[in-house]
Amino acid sequence: MQHHLQHQTTVAASTPPSKTGDAPPKQVALALERLNHATGVIANIRLGADRLIEALFFAAEPHKSSKPVDLFIKGDSAMRQHLQELRSIGKQLEESGVLNESLKSRGNSWGLHMPLVCPDGAVVAYAWKRQLAGQAGTSAVDRTRLALKAFTDQKRHFFPRLDDGLMESASKKHCGARAFGENNQDEPSNYKTLHDVLTCLEKEVPNLKTFTYERVDWLKRASTLPASANDNSMEEPKHHFHGSSLLRPASQGVVPSDKVAVIELLFPSIFRAVVSVHPAGSIDPDAVAFFSPDEGGSYIHAQGSSVSHVFRLIREHAALALQYFIGIQNETALYSLLHWICTYQTLFSKACSKCGRLLAMDKQSALLLPPVYRPYKNFSSKASAGENDHAAYHIGCNSDEPL
Amino acid sequence: MTGSTKRHRIALNLQIPVLFLHFVSLLRFGSVIGVSSVRRQFASFCPSPDKTMPLKWVLHWQPNAGSTVNSQILNEVSQCVESINGVKEGRWKATLTYYRPVIRDQSSASEFPRDFIGMSLPEQPNKYYFIIRVQRLVLEADSSIQMIMEKLQSYKSRVALNFEGFQYQLGDFQLRVGKVVPTHSENLRGIVMEVEYLPISSMDKSRQVMEEFVDIWKDAVSKRSLPGYFMHLEPNFSEYGLGDHYTPQHTAVQYAYVMAQLIASAQAVQAGRN
Repeated sequence: MQHHLQHQTTVAASTPPSKTGDAPPKQVALALERLNHATGVIANIRLGADRLIEALFFAAEPHKSSKPVDLFIKGDSAMRQHLQELRSIGKQLEESGVLNESLKSRGNSWGLHMPLVCPDGAVVAYAWKRQLAGQAGTSAVDRTRLALKAFTDQKRHFFPRLDDGLMESASKKHCGARAFGENNQDEPSNYKTLHDVLTCLEKEVPNLKTFTYERVDWLKRASTLPASANDNSMEEPKHHFHGSSLLRPASQGVVPSDKVAVIELLFPSIFRAVVSVHPAGSIDPDAVAFFSPDEGGSYIHAQGSSVSHVFRLIREHAALALQYFIGIQNETALYSLLHWICTYQTLFSKACSKCGRLLAMDKQSALLLPPVYRPYKNFSSKASAGENDHAAYHIGCNSDEPL
Repeated sequence: MTGSTKRHRIALNLQIPVLFLHFVSLLRFGSVIGVSSVRRQFASFCPSPDKTMPLKWVLHWQPNAGSTVNSQILNEVSQCVESINGVKEGRWKATLTYYRPVIRDQSSASEFPRDFIGMSLPEQPNKYYFIIRVQRLVLEADSSIQMIMEKLQSYKSRVALNFEGFQYQLGDFQLRVGKVVPTHSENLRGIVMEVEYLPISSMDKSRQVMEEFVDIWKDAVSKRSLPGYFMHLEPNFSEYGLGDHYTPQHTAVQYAYVMAQLIASAQAVQAGRN
């Protein structure tokens, strides 16, 4: 304790009278020093508090001597000194702008900022560096907390019934087997490769044209749309891609199936859907977006957004469907997703299953829209034989049915 | 038209754009080969659109028997668009001109087509469109053709009309409400409305959507108890050599039909008065 008293006086002696004469780097350095010192004092205060409690316990036991009282008095005076020290350091830090950002607001700060003490107690010594990186003022603790919160919220939003058990691969397979029990048992799970999935799709859906691309090739094609689309459209008879020619995109040679990253589904004059798989060559869908067949440009890709309202809304809905298919039927997610996308070929012809009309005014967006929702829960791709077998709903019409 | 031959003489001592020349020569051949083959030949001269465009229906206001169109109806219609959440965006204007031939020899006067229409459309500022309805011909030419016609002194403008008004956005629909007025006059002759659906460019695939929209629109208008209603007539585009994919030529043909309707109803009103 004597040591501490001495320490305090040395600190008091070495406090410079004013800061205004110092250059910013010196101020920052001083502030850092004081912060370190303050940390030391706080540690001492904690120790002192422990000692006081010890003394109290000691006093509680019967003793003849006045030792506990002495201990208590010593502890008390030490604590007061520490707290006094802390107050003075605190005042100094405040003046120098560590606890707020006053250095920044002074004119000539050389671009430096005082070290910042964050609400959670962490010290950001080099705040200016982090401001450069756009992370001003928060500490890693805060950021981690925010990130965790964001992920938990999203998980709750997209997987409302998903419990932790499903994330284990064993129970995933179990779940998958259960879902298949309702459909045709064998076929969907047999489609292990992209080639199989697309071949099956083409057989079942007559108006569809599919194309596959490597990622870079897709970007090239997107920029040339829709001019090339006109060549393939109505004037030509329906063009089926079969078997090995399936993987041949419109203008290129055979795409090796292990490099396919983008699948394009085109219903001529109705819509174009772009699905990306990740990693390339796998059957794990990653993102999906819808576009008018007349749209063209480099924004046409699986993460892009259409110019038309109707396709933007379908894309949002499709994102939920995609998450559902991945979560519940992971191995046949692509198969289900592509079949589900094909139910949109009736987008402009099928009336809503609830209100019976094709166009309805959506209250939220004040727009006239066709039914943009197609149910994806309990979606059975086997039932896509008839075009009109799947339900369709306007945005405002599906409130009572789970999709 | 009397006679089986229709000839159209034109001074060839000036450079004429190729399309116009073909147009003229086809008129000459039309009687010999027959109109259908003219259409087939003509279709190959019709340039395919270098850009796809969304399809459009052109509606016109049909006044009830005995009533005429007035600017109050126009105001009510504009308000009606806003009542279905249309957002006013800007102005638009198209022009339509009836041409009459400059005839030097009176005896051949009856051989020339009576309604030879030229149109300019706002979305194609560099183009000019010609329509001869009775022969089911539509042509896209460069907008400098008007200057050439002026120099040739072969056709003069008989009547010129403007379609002008405001444009509204309603999500993926774009609506244009316009009054029909002769140029240099404020005399309201009619009201037209264009309904464009941006995501689709196929006439077939969009039919249901457009029909429902027009139903919704007609409903909204009828609530205002105006002395008339909007009508949509679809011309037989295939007779003009036009396909399912929408083009500005489709628009020009629709306007030609709208004008025919307006004239017919104006004549009916006139006959009713006499």
